Amino acid sequence: MFELNKTFTYQRFVLLWGQIEEFLILIGNLGKDFVDVIKRILSLEINLNETIEQSKRFAYDSLPISLTIVSMTSAIIAMQLAPELARQGGADYTGMLSALVMVRELAAVMSAFAIISMVGASFASEIASMAVTEQISAMKVLKVDPIAYLFVPRFIAGALFMPVVFIVSGFCGLVCAGLVSNWCADLSLLNYFTSLWHGLYIRDIFIALLKSSFFGATIALISSSCGYSAHGGAKEVGLATTKAVVSSFLAIAMWDFIFASVFYL
Amino acid sequence: MTLEVKNLTKIFDNKKVLDNVSFKVENGQTLGVVGFSGSGKSTLLKIISGILEKDSGEIILPNNSEVAMAFQYSALFDFLDVYDNIAFPLVERKEFRGKYSKDEITKIVSQKLQMVGLEGIEEKFPSELSGGMQKRVGFARAIVTNPNVILYDEPTSGLDPVTSTMIEDYIVRLKRELNASCVVVTHQLSTIRRAVDYVIMLYQGKIVFDGKVEDFLNNKNEYARQFVTASIQGPMNIIGK
Ligand SMILES: Nc1ncnc2c1ncn2[C@@H]1O[C@H](COP(=O)(O)OP(=O)(O)OP(=O)(O)O)[C@@H](O)[C@H]1O
Ligand SMILES: [Mg+2]
Repeated sequence: MFELNKTFTYQRFVLLWGQIEEFLILIGNLGKDFVDVIKRILSLEINLNETIEQSKRFAYDSLPISLTIVSMTSAIIAMQLAPELARQGGADYTGMLSALVMVRELAAVMSAFAIISMVGASFASEIASMAVTEQISAMKVLKVDPIAYLFVPRFIAGALFMPVVFIVSGFCGLVCAGLVSNWCADLSLLNYFTSLWHGLYIRDIFIALLKSSFFGATIALISSSCGYSAHGGAKEVGLATTKAVVSSFLAIAMWDFIFASVFYL
Repeated sequence: MTLEVKNLTKIFDNKKVLDNVSFKVENGQTLGVVGFSGSGKSTLLKIISGILEKDSGEIILPNNSEVAMAFQYSALFDFLDVYDNIAFPLVERKEFRGKYSKDEITKIVSQKLQMVGLEGIEEKFPSELSGGMQKRVGFARAIVTNPNVILYDEPTSGLDPVTSTMIEDYIVRLKRELNASCVVVTHQLSTIRRAVDYVIMLYQGKIVFDGKVEDFLNNKNEYARQFVTASIQGPMNIIGK
């Protein structure tokens, strides 16, 4: 007897549908939480102490990892780029190219990735564990608004301090690229930094700052939202964290694509 | 404050966890809620306190009521120490912003801690306390805003008999001092004897006993009798439910 619900295709389809459904729920939650957060910010329901606390985590605690990742990436790129450019007679362009790549893409995206793994994951897991241990319910009964207490400070911290992380890590990345070019292509540092200025546009920097701010706010919102909607037990905390990290990566890729198409196409 | 619950129904996954539940708790009275594990007691408290939405029915509370809840598993904020946990509503609630000075808060916190028999543990974190201590810190946090409706979810479970008695006396005292209406979910007969005025018993979402403590304990009702005598035989069947 042919039974539709036992076929492999059917089961795959159900699985896929489940995932689509989950994705739609996530989008719905994000939209709702975003509106709630903006409402609180507009009515100035901002918890200053918490905002400072979260900003510290966002900007300061994450610096070692974001600096390392951005510096390593730019060093590797310089290692690949500089000798090749030198061979082709374009050594003078190394600084310029590094600046273009660094400011337009690498610094913001790579530090966003670092922040997701370091800060986003911890936002998601701590809020999820509060949710599953009823701490958020307790907050509601005590008439303290969890959106204002948990979401808003993280959102503001992300929007304000991701650009700072971008600036610091971008600067370090450029210096690293210069040192590496000097080391593996005998490019003089003076030459590198002179060329660098030709690739540095104020417009690019502003766009990158804006983009970083979007990245930061998005990571904070997604992480908080995924954590907040967790229910059940310890397993759900893990699932919520995974969901936050994966969705944040996707969202960053999406924002990056949108920014590139809007500003550079 | 009079708390009235009318025809309350709550459905989880097509299952009626609460089915047309009605009762009234007058000012200064304590209602005990008993029932098997999974019979919807915590759900009832969560709906009264506004954590969960009801599917139908009414919760009637006066406008100026202040509802507090002591959670089954304490639900203390694990990122804050005991002091900040208890001070939390005074510091973070919008309507209280700037109303209390630091000294006043310190005084209130230590006074509430004293009421639950804990002193000098302000700087400890919840993870450094025993389960019973966490529970009592949870009470202290619940009553810090002088509520007039207090919901206790299994306040004495997991405590030794002496501490239980202390908590029971404390529930009674607090009710008098704040002139509050209380709802106490409990499995413990000692708590029903000492701290409760009326009892309702839930089974499969419905109220199967509703009456005075004496009647509950004196086997007037077959459901109550099965619960009090802890008998497997009786109208309630826990297996397969
Ligand atoms: N968020 C939820 N989603 C789905 N079902 C739930 C949820 N919360 C509770 N339930 C179900 O509702 C029923 C009642 O749960 P509740 O926690 O109110 O029981 P209880 O009487 O407090 O039990 P206990 O004495 O063990 O604490 C259970 O069958 C439980 O599985
Ligand atoms: Mg319960």
